[in-house]
Formats: sequence, C-alpha cells, structure tokens
Amino acid sequence: MIQAKNVSMKFDLGVEATSFKETFIHLFSGKKKKEKKDFWALTDVSFHVDKGEVVGLIGSNGAGKSTLLKVVSGVMKPTKGSVTVNGVISPMIELGAGFDPELTARENIYLNGAILGYSKDFIDEKFDEIVEFSELRDFLDAPVKNFSSGMTAKLAFSIATVVNPEILIVDEILSVGDIKFQEKSKNKMMEMIMGGTTVLYVSHSMESIEELCDKVIWLEHGHVKMIGETKEICNAYYLEQMGETKEESLQRKKEASLEKENKRKMKKEQK
Amino acid sequence: MKALKNIFGNFKRYSFLMNQLIMRDFKVKYKRSVLGVLWSILNPILMMTVMAIVFSQMFKFKVDGVNYLVYLMTGLIMFNYFSEASNLAMTSVVSNFSLINKIYIPKYIFPVAKCIFVGINFVLTLIPWFAIILLSYIGLGQYACPITFSYIFLPFIFFCFFLFTIGIGLFLSCISVFLRDMFYIYGIILTIWNYVTPVFYSLEILPTSYQAIFKLNPMYQFITSVRSIVLFGERPSFLTLGILFLISLCVFGIGAFTFKKKQDQFIYYV
Repeated sequence: MIQAKNVSMKFDLGVEATSFKETFIHLFSGKKKKEKKDFWALTDVSFHVDKGEVVGLIGSNGAGKSTLLKVVSGVMKPTKGSVTVNGVISPMIELGAGFDPELTARENIYLNGAILGYSKDFIDEKFDEIVEFSELRDFLDAPVKNFSSGMTAKLAFSIATVVNPEILIVDEILSVGDIKFQEKSKNKMMEMIMGGTTVLYVSHSMESIEELCDKVIWLEHGHVKMIGETKEICNAYYLEQMGETKEESLQRKKEASLEKENKRKMKKEQK
Repeated sequence: MKALKNIFGNFKRYSFLMNQLIMRDFKVKYKRSVLGVLWSILNPILMMTVMAIVFSQMFKFKVDGVNYLVYLMTGLIMFNYFSEASNLAMTSVVSNFSLINKIYIPKYIFPVAKCIFVGINFVLTLIPWFAIILLSYIGLGQYACPITFSYIFLPFIFFCFFLFTIGIGLFLSCISVFLRDMFYIYGIILTIWNYVTPVFYSLEILPTSYQAIFKLNPMYQFITSVRSIVLFGERPSFLTLGILFLISLCVFGIGAFTFKKKQDQFIYYV
C-alpha cells in the first residue's frame, strides 16, 4: 500500500533570511551564490506498509516523524527517493484547519469535508452522523467564530473521522472536548485504527503503540534506526531514551509510591 | 493524452472543493449585508454613476461619436474584473498556507477559484451594463448603441479575457510565495496599468507616436474589441480575435507552467 524508497528530505534553514535582492537573483538565474545551511530532516528512509497493517512511528522530538507523514500524504515532495501510495489517504494530522470562522457549522461541514476530499454525496449521506457525533445539533446554524474551542474541536473531529479510509495517517490519538467526548473520540480513533485499514501511526505513548501496531519504525535524526517487530523495538527505544528497561522503571515507580505511602503513614502517626 | 486525462480527472475530483471555496467567498462577502448579492449589481451602477459625473461633467471628457456612458462602463467593469481577480488570486496561495501545509490539495485550485468567484461577479455586473446599453438603444443620450449579431463574439472575448486573467493570477500567486514584496509591487503596477489603459479616456487624445505603444497593452485590446461590438456593432476582425486568443493562451501557458514548475517548493516558504 505504501512504499517508501530511499526518501530524503532537505530543508534550507537560511530560507527565511533571504533578502529582496537574493530572492530576485535566485528567481531568475537559479544559481545559489551563498552557502546555504542545509538540514536533512530525513535521510535514506525506506520502508513499506502492507494492506491492513498498522505501522507505528516512534522517535524523539525532531526525529522526522511528522516530516515523514507529510511526505507520505503528499504535502511535501521528497528531495530524493520516492513514495508510492496505492489508495486514498485520509490525513488526520490537523483538525479544523479548513474552517472559516464566518460560516455556520453546517456550511463548515461541507467546506471542511471538501477540503478533506469527500464528495458532496458522501457528506449529504453522512451529515446526520457527523452532527450526531459532534453533539452540536442545536448550534448548526451559528457561525463557528462564536463556538468555544472545545466545540470547534468536536466538530472538526467529527468531520475528520466520519470516513472509512483506505489509508489512515494519525499523528497521536486525539482526544478533544470534555471528559465524555474525550473518551468517545478516543474510542472512535481506536475503532478506526483497529478497523482493518492500513494505518501509519505516530505516537509518544508506548502503551498505545504496543497495543495497536503490528510493526514499528524507529526514527532518529532522520534515519531509520530500527524497524521490525513491535515489542522488540519498543523495548529497545525505551531503554535508550530512559536509560532503563520498562520493567526496571515500573519497579522503581512502585518502590517510590510505596515509600510515599510509608511517609504519609509516619506523618499521621506523629500527629 | 494520458496527461490530459489526468488533468481532467484531477479537475473533476476537486470540482466539489472548488465549488465550496467559491461559495464560501460569496457567503463571506455578503454575510450580514441587507442587500446581499444585489450589491454585485448595485455597486457597478453606483460606481459608474460617480465616475460618469466626474469625468463627463467635471472634467468634460467625451469620446467623439460614441455613447460615453457605455464607453466608460465597458472599460470600468472589465478593468475592475481584471484587477480584483488578479489581486485576489495573487494572495490566495499565501493566505491558504495553513491548509497547504497540512493536507494535500492541488494548489492551483486557490487562484483559479478566486478568478471564477470574481468572474461570477463580473457576469452579474453585465446585467446593469447591458441595461445601460438597452437604454441608449432606445434613445438615452446623444448616441445610440446598435445591437447586432456581432454580440455572439462577446462570450469568446470574455473567455479569452478570463484565461488571460487566470494566467496572470497563477503567475503572480507563484511569484508572491517567494517574494512577498510582490503584494505591494503589484498594487503599484495595477495603478499604472489602470491609467495606461484607456478606461475613461480615448487613445486619440494622445500623440500618434505614443498610441502604437499603448496598443501593445493586452487590456487595451480586450476592452477595445468589446467596445467595437457594443458601441459600433462591429465585429472585431478575425485577426484581432486570433491575436486575443493567442495572447491569452500564451499568458495562461506561462502562468500555468511557472506555477507547475515551482509549486513543489511552496512548502519551504511557508
């Protein structure tokens, strides 16, 4: 379903600083006079995701996870290498990016749906489902600018998750809104990931990675450090990041909490 | 052939999004205004009334042998379309960066949607424009405008004009990503362009040597072709029509080519 071959992605860190003259020259001559600061966000990343597979992406901040997701979803073209994707991608990267605050919730469902690549028929059909899930039926004809941030997030979430995607790209399990909705949205996302579609999933939560993924890719400084079976990679990653294995850390935490408990008891007795 | 099929398939797939973006612009534009879309018709009438009074009464402008009101209004609505559409198209890519940065959407959609949105407005302004022509036909003003079969060439000219505007819009929206100064530069260019184009005056008031240069301006050619139809009932020569078509095709080609060539780099300039 997804096939990445030797993907490299270069960013030019000096791009913000270019002056009028430089840009002008650059635009017409195509020559680069000044030495530029290059930053390789991804170097030589290769992997493949089979149909129905849930693949986790782990790595510390700035390791290139989000860049990789953007390359796969087609937002960025890789500097080198290639990505082939068979199927329609539903990116669940950012919610509500396409909302127009002046428009009503009803109008925004159509606008945002169109941006996410839904057809008109599809939105017509799923309209009630979206409204029902968002719990915002009473506010359908109010402009979104009057919504609270929680309400906006609920609406955006409901629109983004109404699809049965061929390929799902998830940057962290999102739980938005109040407690009740957080639970509901989390379940909905779990359901989507577990529903048998192909998933590329980025998360910092080792628990959910271990629970959901068939395979894990560990990125570090833009390189693939390890790729393979979930349990093995997660353990290795945890060890390197925290300097101890998971069992050790669990043990330590247990001891710490026991100690706390003892101290509390001592205090009570002193009183 | 396959590339062509690809382009059309792509276009079809995203036509709903295009539709939504254009509708959004309309809704936002007339949100909370009492008269709503009526303003699209009222605005040019009022604008033209002011301009007509200023130029024909205060400055005593007139163009010999033609109905000045129609002469002025033709130039006005066409130039206004061009300046508004190209301006909005230019800013459209940069102002939608938050989307481009997150979801894959073909980027040409934004400038093209703006050109269509202003285009629909333009078609609405044709209603009062034609009403004025009709009034002059039945005897308002000194000179009557003939209504003839040559009108069937109007849609063709407008189509070329639209293509020309999209080309400019695509080109500008692409350049402005790399060079934000373009927003300000183009504002000045437009002002100059406006005065260089004979919207409210006639080229005949200029020395002959200048006239030839002024005629190189595509906007002059577009406006003059339409004027020759509505003011004199004369079909522009096929040579003129051919040239118009070629110019718009070239400009569109250059715009589309530049945009296609550079669009993958937009993301670095967010």
